[in-house]
Amino acid sequence: MNRRKKTGKGNIFPLQIEDLESLLKSKFKNNPDLSFTTYERKNEKVAVFYIDYQVEADKVEDFLLEPLLGEKIEWTNDSILNEIPLSSGKTYEKLDDILKNLLIGAVFIYCESEKSVVSYLLSKKENRSLQQSETESLVLGPKIGFTESMTTNLNIIRWSVRSEDLVLEKYIIGKREPREVRLIYLKSIANETDINTMRQRLQELDVDVVDDSAVLMQYIEDSTTTIFPQFFTTELPDRFSYNINRGKLGVLVENSPTAIIAPSTFFSFFESTEDLYMRWNVGTFLRVLRYLSFFLSTLLTPLYVAAVTFHYEIIPTPLLINLGQSRAAVPFPPILEALFLELMIELLRESGARLPTKVGQTIGIVGGVVVGTAAVEAGVTSNVLIIFVALSALASFTAPNYLMGTTVRILRFPMIILGGLLGIVGIFFGASLLIIHLLRLTSLGRPYLSPIYPLVVEDFNKVLYRLPNQFQNQRFKSYRPKDLQRYANKDAKEKKDIDE
Amino acid sequence: MEINVKTRKNLQIRAFYLFFIVTSLQLGVGIIGAPKLIYLEALQDAWISILIAFIYIIVVIAVMFIILNQYENADIYGIQVDIFGTFLGKLLGTIYILHFAISFFSILITYIEIIRVYMFPAISNIAIGFLLLSLVVYSVLGGFRVMVGVCTLFFIFSHWIVFLLVHPFTQMDITHLQPMFVSSFPELLSGAKTTSYTFMGFEILLLVYPFIQNKKKARFPAFLAISWTTFLVLLTTIIVIGYFSYQQIARREWVLLGLFKIQNLTFIERFDYIVVAQWMMIILPNLIFLMWGITFGMKRMYQIRQKTTLYVSAVIFLVASIFFDKHFVIQNLIDFSARYGFWLVYVYPFVLLPLVLLKKYRRNKKAGESHEK
Repeated sequence: MNRRKKTGKGNIFPLQIEDLESLLKSKFKNNPDLSFTTYERKNEKVAVFYIDYQVEADKVEDFLLEPLLGEKIEWTNDSILNEIPLSSGKTYEKLDDILKNLLIGAVFIYCESEKSVVSYLLSKKENRSLQQSETESLVLGPKIGFTESMTTNLNIIRWSVRSEDLVLEKYIIGKREPREVRLIYLKSIANETDINTMRQRLQELDVDVVDDSAVLMQYIEDSTTTIFPQFFTTELPDRFSYNINRGKLGVLVENSPTAIIAPSTFFSFFESTEDLYMRWNVGTFLRVLRYLSFFLSTLLTPLYVAAVTFHYEIIPTPLLINLGQSRAAVPFPPILEALFLELMIELLRESGARLPTKVGQTIGIVGGVVVGTAAVEAGVTSNVLIIFVALSALASFTAPNYLMGTTVRILRFPMIILGGLLGIVGIFFGASLLIIHLLRLTSLGRPYLSPIYPLVVEDFNKVLYRLPNQFQNQRFKSYRPKDLQRYANKDAKEKKDIDE
Repeated sequence: MEINVKTRKNLQIRAFYLFFIVTSLQLGVGIIGAPKLIYLEALQDAWISILIAFIYIIVVIAVMFIILNQYENADIYGIQVDIFGTFLGKLLGTIYILHFAISFFSILITYIEIIRVYMFPAISNIAIGFLLLSLVVYSVLGGFRVMVGVCTLFFIFSHWIVFLLVHPFTQMDITHLQPMFVSSFPELLSGAKTTSYTFMGFEILLLVYPFIQNKKKARFPAFLAISWTTFLVLLTTIIVIGYFSYQQIARREWVLLGLFKIQNLTFIERFDYIVVAQWMMIILPNLIFLMWGITFGMKRMYQIRQKTTLYVSAVIFLVASIFFDKHFVIQNLIDFSARYGFWLVYVYPFVLLPLVLLKKYRRNKKAGESHEK
């Protein structure tokens, strides 16, 4: 065991080409894809080896084999590195390095009796082309989404944030399957403490494999037990660059189209870059609508359950008559009725998400219209509740971030149960618990509820509502960016009289 | 025992949070019944009583600030040990802890009683008590910053209730407040004294002062907080007097909750139900800070871990709440709390002040002498 380790870590050269071939073949015993070719010229021998489908075959032919087998070139490492018309030539000595690079598409040239092996990275990677993101959709603004390829994503980011300040730190995470992770920020704006915290979390991460950025996010989050996502995720480069430009940190993971933004607040999940593309008053309206729908979606059904179960005095008589007529045929207590309907909506959503698009639509119509109407006619649920449940389901989809939308939908269930058990007192208990819980959360060590608590009134117009641009000349103060000022406040209105 | 409290920099809060802390602690269950009690003492001149109390409280707070400013970063537990020595100081500190405990308990069971009367007559104290105490434990575990956050957010989320007073305000009969100045001065004073339970809570200043970052700016938010609570008590008292007749007020226990019944909308008939539930957010900051005061005191004086005190006292309060389900028992407790609390909160600082100043004078003299030598 110990000796094998030594051969892996130490220099294995020089050795006979036959020995090298048998060594590599033994390492790739059950993989028939290793291509190992030996060329001879006079007394010299040279071996070229790579994995078939990991390299660009054309390039290997044109730029590597052709010059190599030509008459001019000498078969020594120095002359190969000089003569072959490819950049990024490297030499390796250790078996481990050779194996690792073989797997990511390197081509190796070994001249017999040399002390190292020359390698060129000619990897081929299949990518999907740039497409519109499906989980996050925008009406206005750039439509393009990130892809699974790190190089493509970095390319997109470099084009959208064209500043020499942009830092793209590289980390390799994963013991068993190393993946490239990039920490991206603007060094003249982003807060130093945040950068250090994030660096530390990435460096200290000790896992076998990072499957996706969503998994990485859960590894580096502040609280692992909470239901709330603590980092904002996005597939849209414009949301990404928006946040980077305002001093936040971004994390990209190889093979994942989702970028992580940190630190985030509870309110970042309700922000959309679209609010910026709209006029400020329209943007404010939409944003307030989203916050309102958060409350609607968590509280509407529970309040109905509480009022109908315990406190029908709260409901005015004309409305109560309606409710009573609607509920007269229903034999279940309100809490069961509500849970049943909410579960049905969740079922519809889940099946819609799993099924192919075309079938999904059909299921939506069958489930929503047919089952809904039938449920009322069969006397299982009341009309009014269907309206409430549908409303709160709709409201939950307004959150621009899918993770937060899901969280909001799940929050509703404990709330319904509390409302059914203890009426409005139960709901206020739930709301208090929720607020205290949110107060306890942090994102990258920063309070989750800022700027509400800690109270920073200057930041309200970036988070809760929007104001015209002359009031937007500062960055998000709560995160203490290095450079607070976005632009000088030249546009401030002078006081003018009429027709002056 | 250290006289001064060592607070980590990241635990400190900005001074203006003091406004939320003091207001949240003053507003509690007291204000629900206070208008009636003041009215019974001072009749339509109740507002004068409240103003007298206001001026008196300003003096008390000023005295508290003078005491606190004599030290670098001390709280009441440390100051008492410094003045009276270890044994007596700790004894007085323990009295403070008892005061917090009794205030805590009186608020807890009063609120439980309100819920029982208004909503669930059959529910046991232990169920509601468990819910409230779990919230208290959960937020105290979050630490000082979270507790201040609870005060701030619950203040914001619960003050919409004030708008419910607009409708009764427009329906007031102004003649109920006339003729003015009928009550004699002793009556006014005893009316002012009945406000003591309602206005209690600002003594938390003696505990949270070391946690304030910019202490020089602490005065203004504290006085603003006092003014705001006084304004609310004044407003509710005047509306109660203007809206209800003498008999109606005398008959009602929680006269304020009756006011919230008046406003109604096309989709909500009875706001008082919602207000009773919403009141949870008003009493929670009280409970949280009082509980923290208890645990912090035990840690300061007896070096008991805060978590231990927290869990133990939560269980004790929960068990004790079972035995307090009769109205007159609860009323007795509140009366008791108000009676001795008056001496501890409103009179004791005046006793402490000269002692603290004397001590400082002596210390300075000593330091001066040794310097001369």
